[in-house]
Amino acid sequence: MTADLVQVVSILSAALAVGFGALGPALAEGRAVAAAMEAIARQPEAAGTLSRTLFVGLAMIETTAIYALVVALLVLFANPFV
Amino acid sequence: MENPLITEPLFSIGPVPITAPVLGTWAIMAVLMAGALWLRRRLTSQPDRVQTVAELLVTTLDGQIRDTMRRDPAPYRSLIGAIFVFVLVANWSSLIPGMEPPTAHIETDAALALIVFVATVYFGVKTQGLRRYLASFAEPSWVMIPLNIVEQITRTFSLIVRLFGNVMSGVFVIGIVLSLAGLFLPIPLMALDLLTGAVQAYIFAVLATVFIGSAVEGGHAPSAAEKQESSS
Amino acid sequence: MTIDWWTLGLQTINAVVLIWFLGRFFFKPVSAIITERREAAQAELDRAAQAVATAEAERQAVQSDREAFAAVRTSLLEDARAEAKVERERLMKLAEEEAQSLRSDAEVRLKRQRADAQAALLEDASDLAVGIAQRLVSRLPEAALVGPFVEGLAGAVGALPAGVQEAIGRDGPALVRAPRTLSDTERQRIQEALSAALGRPLNLRVEVAPDLIAGLELEAATASVRNHFAADLSRIKAELITHG
Repeated sequence: MTADLVQVVSILSAALAVGFGALGPALAEGRAVAAAMEAIARQPEAAGTLSRTLFVGLAMIETTAIYALVVALLVLFANPFV
Repeated sequence: MENPLITEPLFSIGPVPITAPVLGTWAIMAVLMAGALWLRRRLTSQPDRVQTVAELLVTTLDGQIRDTMRRDPAPYRSLIGAIFVFVLVANWSSLIPGMEPPTAHIETDAALALIVFVATVYFGVKTQGLRRYLASFAEPSWVMIPLNIVEQITRTFSLIVRLFGNVMSGVFVIGIVLSLAGLFLPIPLMALDLLTGAVQAYIFAVLATVFIGSAVEGGHAPSAAEKQESSS
Repeated sequence: MTIDWWTLGLQTINAVVLIWFLGRFFFKPVSAIITERREAAQAELDRAAQAVATAEAERQAVQSDREAFAAVRTSLLEDARAEAKVERERLMKLAEEEAQSLRSDAEVRLKRQRADAQAALLEDASDLAVGIAQRLVSRLPEAALVGPFVEGLAGAVGALPAGVQEAIGRDGPALVRAPRTLSDTERQRIQEALSAALGRPLNLRVEVAPDLIAGLELEAATASVRNHFAADLSRIKAELITHG
């Protein structure tokens, strides 16, 4: 029963971690893309540099969500309490 | 579902267990080395298409290193360039059926990050001298010494986890989708995986350049990329 | 979570080997060939730039040659012009001088001619005067030719210096010229008058000279006293000529 409880809690916490961990990066990516679009609209000749920087920044932001995913996977597959 | 965090040894040579990422790395190494040798034999001053691509790669790499470090790129070119090429090819090797990217396993990423860490210390000591390199940890004041040391370690870990998480999550998501649908549905995710792989390879190389550059330059202000890194 | 340390070690070695291999066999040769080609292109560019510079230098040399030619031509023209000017001035001066000398010559000649003409005129006039005087005198009475001049002659002799007075008549009789033969009374009068003027007796020898027109002339060894018309006329004539 205890092991079952731990598994249930683990799955719940993994889902919570991914869900809340994805929340912040999603907002941040939206803002970043919006700012980049505005900048490209204002300065179309700098679109190349802007989009390259945007991709790098998006990857950086996405890393935060990936951290949450890694934690969730750790909880699911490498749980030390199971 | 298969546990993505555990690598099972396929076979062992003597006492050394050989796992799938090591085998995949060997395959990638063989391909890259053969390609390098083949290209080297046909290097002429009248470049054909392949050589033009290679030269474009090297020129772009030099430009990036020069932009980031404001130094002659020659000592750092092979390290940064080889890391970039290897990570890129490794990330894209997920397209080959039955092949799992070596970077989807934390040992490969840890090995790469370890090399970057050692290279950072090596170039810092080589350029500034041991005393001045160690003194650069006391910037801007001695209060920052533990923080700076911790930053060295955490940024290496974040380097590991970023690459590992991205590639592994891509592989994992594709595995899940594949177990659900099987046909056509994984294609957009694979395309996204390609993009992520390329971007992550680029980011890994850029961050390695930034780390080495900051170690080489000593107490200079951190560049924009490093700020991004410390905030993520 | 577990980390396979064997895999980590192997991957590290793999990565190091790959980095070394790619650095040795890919990045270095490619970079070298890029540098080589860049240098070749640079050398080519330098060569082209040098060729351009050479051509430019040649062009400038030609240009300067042309300018030098133009300068020489201009200076030649200038010289010729200046020479011509000098020559013209010299010729003009020469002509002017010639004209000047011609004019002055003409003036001199003219003056001389005029002087000659005037002299001739004066000569004629004096001759005319002498002729008139002779004609007039010939109409006078015979006595008037000698008589009125005796006192004048005596006065002139008396006005002579003492040495000259003593010399008169010392070597024989004194010579007296008269326009006609003197009568005895006239001869007597002259002798008396001269003796009175000299303060001693004087012998006379009379000579006839019609040139005198009218009057008397006393001839001594060192002096001659002229008291007659001919002397007066000749004096007047000389004065006319010098003043005319």
